[in-house]
Order: sequence, then C-alpha cells, then structure tokens
Amino acid sequence: MPVQNEIAAPAGYGIGNAICAVCQESFGVDERMVNSNGQILHERCFVCVQCFQPFPDGLFYEYDERRYCEEDFQTLFAPCCKQCGKFVIGRVIKAMQANWHPDCFRCEICNDGLADSGFVKNAGRALCKKCNADEKTKKTGRYVCRKCHTYIPEGEHLMYMGEPVHPWHYNCFSCNKELDHLCRKRDTELYCLRCHDKMGTPICGACRRPVEDRVVHALGKAWHVEHFVCAKCEKPFYGHRYYERKGLAYCETHYNELFGDICFECNKAIVGDVVNALHKCWCVQHFTCVGCNVSLNLRSKFHEFDMQPLCKKCYEKMPLELKKRLKKAEQTAGSRK
Amino acid sequence: MSKSVKKLVEETKDQGYTELDLCDKSLNTIADIPGLTQLRHLVRLTLSHNRITSLPESIGALENLEFLNVFNNHIEELPMSLGSLKKLRHFNAAVNRLSSLPRGLGTASGLEILDLTYNNLNDKSLPGNFSVMKQLRALYLGDNDFETLPSEIGELRNLQVLVLRDNDLIELPKALGNLSRLKELHLQNNRLTALPPELGKFKHHSCADSQNYMTQDGLCSG
Repeated sequence: MPVQNEIAAPAGYGIGNAICAVCQESFGVDERMVNSNGQILHERCFVCVQCFQPFPDGLFYEYDERRYCEEDFQTLFAPCCKQCGKFVIGRVIKAMQANWHPDCFRCEICNDGLADSGFVKNAGRALCKKCNADEKTKKTGRYVCRKCHTYIPEGEHLMYMGEPVHPWHYNCFSCNKELDHLCRKRDTELYCLRCHDKMGTPICGACRRPVEDRVVHALGKAWHVEHFVCAKCEKPFYGHRYYERKGLAYCETHYNELFGDICFECNKAIVGDVVNALHKCWCVQHFTCVGCNVSLNLRSKFHEFDMQPLCKKCYEKMPLELKKRLKKAEQTAGSRK
Repeated sequence: MSKSVKKLVEETKDQGYTELDLCDKSLNTIADIPGLTQLRHLVRLTLSHNRITSLPESIGALENLEFLNVFNNHIEELPMSLGSLKKLRHFNAAVNRLSSLPRGLGTASGLEILDLTYNNLNDKSLPGNFSVMKQLRALYLGDNDFETLPSEIGELRNLQVLVLRDNDLIELPKALGNLSRLKELHLQNNRLTALPPELGKFKHHSCADSQNYMTQDGLCSG
C-alpha cells in the first residue's frame, strides 16, 4: 500500500484525446488534469472512493487500484493491533490469527519482545522459546533443550550455563569428542568422562565422593563447598573465615568458645581485645580493681594482690601491715626479675 | 549517714540503674539506708572501704545481685540470707574481720569467685556445705588462720585459683590433686613440710604454656 503524493499536471498538456482513468470520460478544454502514478484523471475524480473528498495534503492510500483518504483507508483496511487496539501502520506482525505492532507482540509470561526473536504457540499463548521450554518442563517434568528446543530424554540432560541442553551439542574441551550425558564439568569447561577422569577429580574430605562442582581446598584436603563445615556447629563456611586447630576447622564463634581466651571475671570467651595480665585474661571492660571495681588498663598503676589487680587508691587504704607486706612482696618479685 | 548516700540510692531506684557504688562513704552500717534493699534490679553493689560491721539479713532481697563487694570493712559476721542470692557470682569480702561463715553461703550455688582474703577464718569457719559451690572458679583464703583444709575442697572441680598463702597450714589434703583445672595455687608462708604427691599431677596440665602458676616460696624445706 504505497503512499503517494499527488503529481498534478496542468490541463492543456497536449493530450487531446486523453481519457480519465476513473470515469472514462474525456477532458474539457482547459480542464485541469491530475497525473497519478501514470494515470490521468479529472481533478474531481482524484478523490477518495469512499467519501468523495479530496485527499488532505494530497496524501492517499491505494488499494486494489482504488484510492482512499487516510481515515477511510484505516477504517476499511488497516489492521488493528490486538494488544493496544490501535491501527497498525508500517510493519505488521501477523501472528496468533491477529495483527500486532512489532512492539506490542510480547511473551505472555516474561513480556520479552517476540517480533524479532520468534515465538512458540503454547496452549493459545504466544511465548518466547525460553518460557515455552520452562512451561513444557513444568508440565511434563522433562527438560527441553535450550539449543534445539526438543525434549531431552530423562536423565540425559546437561546443565550448561544454567540451562538444560542435550550434551551432544557440545564437544569435549580436551579431546573434542562429541559429549554424551556422562560428561563432566570442571571450572567452566566440559569434558568427556574419560578426559575428566584422567585429570583426577578431587575427593571430598568429608563424604569421600568426587567433587564435581565448586571445590574448596582447606586443611590440605578438597571439600564440597557444603561439606566444609565447623567442627562444632557443622554449619558450612561458604567462603567465610575459619579457624584451624588440630586439623579441624571452626567458625569464629565456636573457636573462641572452645579455644579462645576466657575472661576471668565473666568466664566467657573474650570477643575483641584481650587484657593479658597476672597470668589471666580479661575482657577490656572487666579488667577492674579488685577493691573498688574501678576500670583499669595495662597503663594504669596497679598493685598485684594475689594475682589480682588492686588500684593505687585501694592500696593506700589497706591496713598498714598488709601494705608493708605487699610492698615487700613486690620488691622481691621485682629484684627476681 | 550522709545525704549523698540517700540521694545515690534514690537516683538508682528512680533511674533503674543496675549498679550502685557506695565506696568510701564512711558507712558504719547499711541497715539504715532507706530503700537500699528494695533495689530489686541491682546487679552490682560496691561497699568497699567503709566501716560496716555486719550485713543485714534483708540483703537477701536483692535477688538480681551478681556482684557484691564489701572489700575493706569491719564485718564480723555474714547473714544467712546470702545463700538466697541465687545469681551471686562474685563475692568479695576480703580485708574484714570474719571469724566464721554462715551455712547459707554454701547454698549461694552460683558463686564463681569468692574472696575471703585477710580475715580471721580457720578450720572451723568453713560451713559443712561449702563444697556445694560447684561453680566456684576462684577461692581466695590468703591471710587467714587455717591449719588444715577439709578434703571436701577436692569436690570444687571447677577451681582454677586457690590462694592459701599466709595461713598456718601444716598439711594439705590429698584431694587437692582432684582439682584438675587448677592453674594458680598460692601456698607461701605456711607451716607445710611436704606437699601431697598428688599435686604432681598438675605438671601434666602446665605444659609449655605456663598457665599453671604455683607459688611455694614459703614452703619449709624441712
């Protein structure tokens, strides 16, 4: 349906016996003629065949050798988009027994554009290939190959880049042989079973089975990610920090609980800084004077009283006799050093 | 009693503070401090450096008390009700004038650190049930008048620190060897002539990390 502009030619062009292509009558002297696509017509005949009005801006649509103004043409012939209900001018997608704007024709599940990527009819719906495969898998329990879009025999699918495919679409990374369902993945490459076995599969230190997917190397062994766990709570580390002790791995919480420094005051595993003094450990906030509970730190001046810290003030308030003995004990300890 | 003590108690009550410090307030007694024993939420009570001669039975009402410090006072006797403080973990009664301990003390079964240094305690002072304090991690009995120790002391299996220095100890019970977690044992300035061979077991625990600390400077070499 080409849109054409009027090409008007003035009358007296010199074609004396010309006949109007519409009414088949001749032209009067000095009558204006219109030349449209090689046809000559009366100016009065160069009108819309439906409304008999001249074409606005000279724009008309020709269909079946008849001319229509834009409005009538659209009303009579232009396709309506099934999605938005508006006329489709330009590229029309004819699909699902309807017409669509290319932009309106979308997958009914994921809403991806289908105009250029193609579509699949699934239970009266237009779906993209991926959604169609998903639907089929859901319904039948069988995988649909993302490469050739046909069903994959049960148990013979290969998950590659997160999608099920027939293994025979791929070749072994090492020997280039076409793969079958016994193939194995290592890092991101695919190998036939033979080549894979030759490379040596790591064996999980926990379950003693080969580690086909992500492998964790720790404690001199290989592990399935989900099998490398805290020896106490048995939760996998999943890449989090772990602490080693006597060939076993622990999460931070349980390492501290089992082997960390225990505060002499609160008797709990110390989280954060440790005050190490007088052959004991304390939480920073629990290192206090035994006499008055005032907070101390290692820079504070304190006396040792039965391997407990005693602040200077409290020391001064002690009975004289005791003070003397403490002083003497400190001096001997000092001289021994 | 000074006004400031009254004020401190009131403030503690109004604000719901869990700690009350009445250190060095020249107190002779705490029985007449109004509202003190109604501070049910109190977790820590510090009464060090006063001239308190006894603690009232009503102290047993401070049911949430975990730390009680009466360091350096003139206390001669402790109340029975101490045993009803089930949450009490750290009791410091060092530098006082105690010559006996109440039976109730043994029932303060949550006690982890008990400091009775510098008192007038002797063999007859320990209540018969003191070995019930199974949670006890540190027992300070330095500067007292013990000549012997009951063998029940070996039942305090969690004991890590045992201070017996400056007593009149003649011998130690063999049961001391059962204290497998002991890291510190202070024995200096006693009248000991020998240590029970059972103590030799501790060597296995000391290893190279020198966690075990044993002082026996005062041991008579007789």
